[in-house]
Amino acid sequence: MITGMDRLAAAIAGRAADRIPVFCNLLEQGAAEVGVSMRAFYQSPDLVAEAQLKMQARYGHDNVWSLMYVGKEAEMLGCRDILYADDGPPNVADFILKSPDDIDRLTIPDDLFDHPGFADSRRCTEILRAEVGGKTPICAYVTASMSLPALLMGMDKWLELLLMGPFDLRDRLLAKCSDFFIREIDAYRKAGADILVYSNPFGSTELLPMAMIRDLAMPWMERDLAPGGVDGVVYYCGSARFNKVIDLVIERLGIRAFYLSPLDDVAAGKKAVAGRGLTFGVIDDIKMVGWSGNETRAEVRRLIKAGKPGGRFGFGTLLMPLAIPERSIQIMLDAALEAGAQDEGEP
Amino acid sequence: MTLGTVINDYRQAVFDTDRDRALSIVRDAVESGVSPEDIVFKVVIPVVEAMMKAIAEDYDNNLAQHFMTAQISAQVTEEMLPLFATPPAIVGRAVLGTTKGDLHSLGKRIVIGCLRSLMVDAIDLGVNVAAETFVEQAVAHQAQVIGISAMMMHTAQGADGCLRVRALLAERGLEDKIRIAVGGAPFRFDPHLYRAVGADAWAPDGISAGRVIVDLIEQVRR
Repeated sequence: MITGMDRLAAAIAGRAADRIPVFCNLLEQGAAEVGVSMRAFYQSPDLVAEAQLKMQARYGHDNVWSLMYVGKEAEMLGCRDILYADDGPPNVADFILKSPDDIDRLTIPDDLFDHPGFADSRRCTEILRAEVGGKTPICAYVTASMSLPALLMGMDKWLELLLMGPFDLRDRLLAKCSDFFIREIDAYRKAGADILVYSNPFGSTELLPMAMIRDLAMPWMERDLAPGGVDGVVYYCGSARFNKVIDLVIERLGIRAFYLSPLDDVAAGKKAVAGRGLTFGVIDDIKMVGWSGNETRAEVRRLIKAGKPGGRFGFGTLLMPLAIPERSIQIMLDAALEAGAQDEGEP
Repeated sequence: MTLGTVINDYRQAVFDTDRDRALSIVRDAVESGVSPEDIVFKVVIPVVEAMMKAIAEDYDNNLAQHFMTAQISAQVTEEMLPLFATPPAIVGRAVLGTTKGDLHSLGKRIVIGCLRSLMVDAIDLGVNVAAETFVEQAVAHQAQVIGISAMMMHTAQGADGCLRVRALLAERGLEDKIRIAVGGAPFRFDPHLYRAVGADAWAPDGISAGRVIVDLIEQVRR
């Protein structure tokens, strides 16, 4: 039987499969899936993994997530205050970098794989690996050096340091964040993650001017990725558009998989990738909170129609807020599985 | 140094996100005899409006430019105001904060910087602000607008956020006196969401929010 891993491999290689890969990030929905509170859920890697497996089996999409929550990276670096919500993801409540001295005091663990702060992420990934390894792509979320400071000092303080300096302090922080990235992506690979989602909103022209991406962000991205290479790495800028940087990313970083913004033009994104890699078209799932079933179905079909011709294409989701009705999730995934079907020989 | 040169040079510096160059241009201009009033009304505000136009017409612009436009504009305005011959008229007053359960502060900071350069008295209520606080502070400061930032879907549409502020304004009979503006990522991805949460208006970015809030102030004052 063809697996999610087979579909992904076929799409990367531009070969035919039964359908395109369909990726979905159901995270907060997991708490109800295993019948616990949001807080209890996010404190248990076993429950997070169990929920991923149950939801993947029920809905039939092609991936699972090892992500506990994004703030976990800040916790690994010393954050002790996380704000839990009943209806949304946990949020960093206290920034660990409050002064220039804090930046100089920040230490990056030499070995993240065995570090207590990585234990939950490792446990979750290893459970998934044991259950569906080799069959279902296991996704890990790794924040780029250029974006990690926003989790450590807040987005406005980071923009201030990034744009107004002192630039030697900024560069010392970026070097530490890059060291962290290198160790984190290595730890996820060791734990069994197949897909490393390289999350970098600062790699988008929505956040920085193109010249700054080319001259400042790109060298840091090269530093992040050089030691471990780009196997399994997916370029992703959060919800920010990045069609304009695709050429640069392929040329400078060698990344061959792109998870677009819902606001990107899918056909234009595919055209920019130009057969050199895999493009994911991503649905604006925030609108799904209020969409009817027909509206959801129509949008899924529109995206897939725009991206599927010529192959090397997958369907994906962005945030999948908890407020999306369960029925809409099913409709979306059913529509993606159906519209993503490929004829024999179709790349 | 002509005013036209100052405007062009300052606009280029702001669009290049170069704060030091922008500050140097206006300080040199004042030194050479350009009035502080002209710096604010003929240089700073038109450049904020030029950025709004660039955003509206979808030129290449980005968050770094929005952030720096707000920071530079607010700083120049703050430096110029004490030098005015007579204090300028304030357009109106707004209280702004990030909604309950949400700790993101960037959007609010850009909006406040932009508003201050537009002669709006903008009061920062901080992050994780309760609905009751928004209303109490708006009443206490006689603000015409409550600005609510929310960067996550559950805080944008949650019962403790804008929905609750709207309910409190209705309960207290304040809806004619105080308008609500919202902003943040969820509103960009669903441009109809602001209505569902009971807001009067929304803006897709912090710079455009300045104009939206000024318009709401004018509605209340009419």
